[in-house]
Amino acid sequence: MNRATGISHVTLIEYLSLERIVKRLSVLTVPADALTWHRFFGALLLSLLVLLFLSGAFMAFYYSPALGSAYDSVDYALFSLPFGGIIKGVHHYGWNLFLIVLGAHLVRAFVVSAYKPPRQMIWVSGVMILLFVPLFIITGDLLTWDQKGFWSTQVRLSIIGSIPFIGDLLVRLFQGGPLTGIVALTRFYVLHILFLPGLLAFLILIHFHFIKNNGLSYSFSSDNYSTKTVRFFPVIFNRWLILFMGITLVLGLISWYWPAPLGDPADPTDSSYVPRPEWWVLFLNQLVTIFTGSFSVVGSVIIPGGLAGLLIVLPFIDSSPERHPVRRKRVMLCAAIIAIAILALSIMGYLEHFSTPHV
Amino acid sequence: MRKQKKFGFFICLILIFGILIIFYSQVAIAAAKQSVTATKVKNAPAGYDDPAWQKATAVNVHFEGKEIFTGKKTSVTTKAVYTDQEIYFLFTWDDATKSVTKGAWLYDGQNWSHQKGNEDRISLLFEINRINKFATKGCAVVCHVPEGSANAKDGKFGTKSAAEKGDLWHWKAARSDPAGFADDTWVTVISEKKGGRKGDAGKGGDTKNMTEDKSMPKYMLAPGNKLAKNDILLASHISEIKDYSVFKAGDMLTYRMPKMPEGSRADIKAVTRYANGSWTVMLYRQLDTSHDDDVAFNPRKKYNFAMALFDDSGDEDSYDSEVLSLQFGR
Repeated sequence: MNRATGISHVTLIEYLSLERIVKRLSVLTVPADALTWHRFFGALLLSLLVLLFLSGAFMAFYYSPALGSAYDSVDYALFSLPFGGIIKGVHHYGWNLFLIVLGAHLVRAFVVSAYKPPRQMIWVSGVMILLFVPLFIITGDLLTWDQKGFWSTQVRLSIIGSIPFIGDLLVRLFQGGPLTGIVALTRFYVLHILFLPGLLAFLILIHFHFIKNNGLSYSFSSDNYSTKTVRFFPVIFNRWLILFMGITLVLGLISWYWPAPLGDPADPTDSSYVPRPEWWVLFLNQLVTIFTGSFSVVGSVIIPGGLAGLLIVLPFIDSSPERHPVRRKRVMLCAAIIAIAILALSIMGYLEHFSTPHV
Repeated sequence: MRKQKKFGFFICLILIFGILIIFYSQVAIAAAKQSVTATKVKNAPAGYDDPAWQKATAVNVHFEGKEIFTGKKTSVTTKAVYTDQEIYFLFTWDDATKSVTKGAWLYDGQNWSHQKGNEDRISLLFEINRINKFATKGCAVVCHVPEGSANAKDGKFGTKSAAEKGDLWHWKAARSDPAGFADDTWVTVISEKKGGRKGDAGKGGDTKNMTEDKSMPKYMLAPGNKLAKNDILLASHISEIKDYSVFKAGDMLTYRMPKMPEGSRADIKAVTRYANGSWTVMLYRQLDTSHDDDVAFNPRKKYNFAMALFDDSGDEDSYDSEVLSLQFGR
């Protein structure tokens, strides 16, 4: 209330009825090490996700999901639009970095036993996000309608089609017909910009819900740093903002110097084009190469499905209270064997697909 | 706390290693097609012997013969450099005979007749607007329309729709080189009545030197002018022949007289040499001419193009390259 005029000032927060939320945020405290330089993967993932949503939304303004214009609209955004190349680059490199950080986040959580009680569901929801993310890449790759995207999609659909009982149905659901054409492009587009982001946001909310209720994982150190708390707003929020601005700057510079790749326009009649698998899928691709014929389901479904299942049930099969990796020799050994197998298969795939001239 | 710092340092290293893998993979993916990389140079090359060309990477582009050259192969060493304003190509290929005749007139003391012989040429085709399947099929979708198609003879060149446009650079030893240019043309849709090849806006090309009854040349070198390179008579240097008695047996006159190009047709300049059984051709142009009938080069982008080589031959008889990629180095 202004004493001189007698007029009461209503703030924007009051207009929007956000007083309670603002009040709760202003008193919210979190552990001091929730976002530090040695614990930042989760915050970095959130930063990358925000960047991906923003860059994707900007790209959608210029994208035309039709066979005759999809490629040209991407080409236009990439090379003719001011800052279009940077936005596309941020989206492209952001996804790649997102996968790396997601993998590192998982490895860290595994090493520090973050999946152990009472945080089993934090781990499970995180693994669900990890398994969900490739859907974005599968649907996003086709949208550029270039040779790599088109033929990679063909390979992926043929792998999906090899899944017993439901493979054909899934392919038909994705493609909307016998060929990858306009219906498939529309479906992939809608999935990529609407359904998948919605589902991902929902999964992230569930992940945060479990974090809020079960707390952050313990650290190795015996000091009491993790018992200290700081205010979420502005301390943690400002740290996150610095991280967000930093990663935006880094990705922006990378995109400016190395524009996101755009291959030749898709030519469905050019069956001579052999797509090279993405780096993150090299080991899966190699499994498909090793198991052929009637055993193809082993490489395409059983082993990858088994690994995914193992990740999900890990908190329930390793429920011992021991947390330090040195004292969890059996689990660490199993993980090391799986990691070495994945690395070896990836190297084999790399040598097969990248060390020879591409035809 | 020290353990945490070590752990943080370790995971940062993993992150950097992962990023490096991504970039290395991108480089490997980019090496899919035979590619000509234009090297950035500070100073534009003044000619084909300029030291600037030493900075460029030479690519040996392979060509396969078509029609009368079927079964034969040849190659052209290709280099490219660019400045902030212009792009330069340097082509070198072996050719035992320098062919610049193009049906030149020969006087035998009584009659004029056309000499046998065509000309050497090299052509490049870029996309102005995307030409469907050009990136994978190259010239096959533009330069060689199947026999029996509408207007197949006149429109050997052409696209399937008006939205698809190509930029055709056509260096001709007899019809454009003497003027110091490559013929700048473009390619669009083949219609029922007309072919798809068009000259760029402005003036250019060549004009035939012949009388109404086509039995003898109509023009000769105007006083005070000189014949151009390879003793070719330029269309801008002519005067009508009033007295044919000045010619003696063995005299020759140009039949296809190059016009000095103007406007958009004069965009591609040529500096060339034929020596020791090989052609050296340097073509250069503004990166972006701002003309609708030219491809605008953006150094951040890759371009598909295809080339054809003609050895003393006509349109159908050529050596064709596969589709190539032009990219710009930093």
